[in-house]
Amino acid sequence: MSEIFTGGCQCGAVRYRVEGPVRHASICNCRMCQKALGNLMAPFASFEARVDWTRGKPTYFQSSTRVRRGFCNRCGTPLSYQWGEHNLSLTIGSFDRPDQLLPTVEFARDNRHPVFAHYNDLVEEPLGSTDEERDLLAILKSYQHPDQDTESWPVEGRGR
Amino acid sequence: MQQNNSKLTGGCQCGAVRFRADRLGRPSICHCRMCQKAFGSFFGPLVTGYGVAWTRGAPKYFRSSNKVRRGFCGDCGTPLTYEVEGEESIELAIGAFDDPTVAAPVIQVNPTDKLPFFHALTGLPVRTEYSPAWMTPSAGLRSYQHPDHDTAVWPPEKGFPS
Repeated sequence: MSEIFTGGCQCGAVRYRVEGPVRHASICNCRMCQKALGNLMAPFASFEARVDWTRGKPTYFQSSTRVRRGFCNRCGTPLSYQWGEHNLSLTIGSFDRPDQLLPTVEFARDNRHPVFAHYNDLVEEPLGSTDEERDLLAILKSYQHPDQDTESWPVEGRGR
Repeated sequence: MQQNNSKLTGGCQCGAVRFRADRLGRPSICHCRMCQKAFGSFFGPLVTGYGVAWTRGAPKYFRSSNKVRRGFCGDCGTPLTYEVEGEESIELAIGAFDDPTVAAPVIQVNPTDKLPFFHALTGLPVRTEYSPAWMTPSAGLRSYQHPDHDTAVWPPEKGFPS
């Protein structure tokens, strides 16, 4: 049996499931991917199999004549990229196990953010390095959907 | 640090939400699992924004924890902010700036959740050969993304050029 990949948005209103193997995993530095994800680059994975939306559906923005991009309209998580009727690509960060999706190719290197070449030189600051952060962590309760499918969501009685 | 505030503008992909900041603080990339999922990416790139004004529209918010809300565009989904309750400044998504080079991250936070292949991202092979199947549809491609500067009216009154 092939591997099953699941994922979804931060709030859990939209969930998906797709059967492996992975067809293609990449990062793209183009300006449209940067802006769509609010990020320095965008990581996407596509599959031969069809993606099933197992809870809710994405909302789409037509970002160009050929491409539409899906996101959750309740929490904003960028979820998909689709060129015409080609296979849908999913944002790697939205998978429950993003570590299972290793990008093997880079697009639009010309538009790399300048920090890209220095990622590994950046100083690391562990969580809870400041008093403020420690105070916040002590009382912080995450409302993010867990990294697995759930029977029902959100959990009853939890404030939004 | 870049402090030329005429350049400190940005917004979402579709242009429904636009912002301006007076000045920026420390730019960072955050590896935490919540930033990964909120951004759909390997990390969240954020810079502290002071005096942030919404110059068109306003973000929609998701309360991602009891102390934090995250702003995004309800029309196109672009992640825009990370806001801790009670703080005057807000964190802005670096990729949403019109010129994302105004904020070059100087630190990486929450390295515990760093993805195992993060260190290898800079060494990926680059795709430079494009198949005819890829190039042919690209020929007629027109972007509907908002330009990387403020606009008086958006989307264009006369529609997008055909």
